[in-house]
Amino acid sequence: MIKNIIVVGGGIGGTMTANNLVSKLYPEIIRGEVRVMLISNSPWHYYKPAFMYVAFGAFYKDELRRHQASLLRPEIDFILDQVDGFEFSNSRLRMRSGDSYDYDYLVVSTGCIPSPERIEGLKEAGDHFYQHDPARQLYEKISTIEKGRIFIGVTFPTTPNVPHQCGIAPMETTLMLDEFLRRRGVRDQVEIVYTYPTIAQLVRNCLFLQKQTGEVLPSVFDSKGIIHKRGFTLASVDPERKIAISEEGDEENFDILIQTPPIRAVDAVLDSGISQAPNNEGWLPTDRQTLQLEGFENVFVMGDTVDLPISKAGGSCHNQSPVICNNIAGLMRWGKTVDEYDGKVQAIAQMGLEAGMPLWYDYDVDVIPTPATKIGGLMRKGFNRGVYWSVARGLV
Amino acid sequence: MTNQNSTKTMEQLLHSLPALQDEATVAGLADLLEKLAPILQGRRLHNIVDLLAAISDVIEMTDDAMLQKIMALYEDSIGGIWMLTNALRYASAQAAANSTPPTLWQSVRQFNQNEDARRGLDVVSNILAELGRQAAIKGQAMPED
Repeated sequence: MIKNIIVVGGGIGGTMTANNLVSKLYPEIIRGEVRVMLISNSPWHYYKPAFMYVAFGAFYKDELRRHQASLLRPEIDFILDQVDGFEFSNSRLRMRSGDSYDYDYLVVSTGCIPSPERIEGLKEAGDHFYQHDPARQLYEKISTIEKGRIFIGVTFPTTPNVPHQCGIAPMETTLMLDEFLRRRGVRDQVEIVYTYPTIAQLVRNCLFLQKQTGEVLPSVFDSKGIIHKRGFTLASVDPERKIAISEEGDEENFDILIQTPPIRAVDAVLDSGISQAPNNEGWLPTDRQTLQLEGFENVFVMGDTVDLPISKAGGSCHNQSPVICNNIAGLMRWGKTVDEYDGKVQAIAQMGLEAGMPLWYDYDVDVIPTPATKIGGLMRKGFNRGVYWSVARGLV
Repeated sequence: MTNQNSTKTMEQLLHSLPALQDEATVAGLADLLEKLAPILQGRRLHNIVDLLAAISDVIEMTDDAMLQKIMALYEDSIGGIWMLTNALRYASAQAAANSTPPTLWQSVRQFNQNEDARRGLDVVSNILAELGRQAAIKGQAMPED
């Protein structure tokens, strides 16, 4: 009897996990005992962190995407379709095409969706860089502004202790924006205001979601003339008056509003009815060690879809993927999970247009900030331009 | 005067550095100096310093355009090798799965029926044509300037 393993989601988590599963279970695959399938609703694989660079005119669309099938090992069946229903109790997927697939093991790596429409007026008046077209629109604005006020804000999920997408990105783009406007020669006429909400995961009234990094940020921002403000949780936006209104009762004017938007799980995950997250955000209840969906031994969750206090970023998937592959192999071969995720995330933060700062943290130890360097910047750019695709192939 | 001042400052620095007040640090430095002494005396450590300087110069000179070219080379190389090793491994596994290999005529029929196999043959044919074109260019008699 062939065991079917299905990976849902063609982002970095799903792609590398499908490839890693083939490596891990190659003896069973060769014997015809295991089949690995990847389902994605797009024929393209996008390097999503590069959208941030699109906002600064530094990446073209064809430089940040590849054919999904070209990143998969030939042993993987690639299905271009969309999951409309997760029937976890029946171990079955219902597809938009009308097909259905039964699985023995499932990996849910469906990502999250930026949802600015969840804050009144934000979709009309705000900008962000978490998708390609909004990032292009933002580039048009910041590459032409001559004077005024750019207001930067961050929206966290309502679910307690769950972060927004890519925790370091708002800080990265603020520093990149400062340098970008200096290069354009308009920085003196453009005020940059960086704000952070009152509640940011476990910290309160800070400038970053981890205390130690939050404490060094004021001196970094002060040295660049960036205004910073705590306790601004965006409640609504008045597009007519170009005013951002906070839950704390403040009103701030802007010429450009760069807001990390609310996020939610994809429709099929929301509709599964498994999530206990408030505000219909849809994060799946995930065992923080084994990464199994709570109550379902044969289902694993990774990346943005989890309800863990871990960055919704590729650096998390990179460490979750080997754990999931080991645990599926363990269940198949020994009847039990064998590996545990320690919450490790690593990344190289872009600190301005040139410098970079490697960082890592886990469930127990926060990021220890180090000075940004040119070598760090080259490492990040090297990753963006080449190493990322090796990560997707499961080679790094 | 300046030399005296800087010597004094260096002395003060050595006396005031907390790390140098630690016996383990001093012992480690003594070991290191013993290892370094021969290559220092033979002027060979200079090469290492020159090498570090050269690496540092490369880092200084590397810009966006250079990095993009280097990474394109990396991606082309790794991607190409990955594709070829995948194809080789997959094809070998398929061939090994047949207890009896197909006859020559069965193989020819398979080529005729399998579009991907014919496309693969076309790729090989195109590669050979391109290699031939480049060989012809190299073999051309070139006029003097």
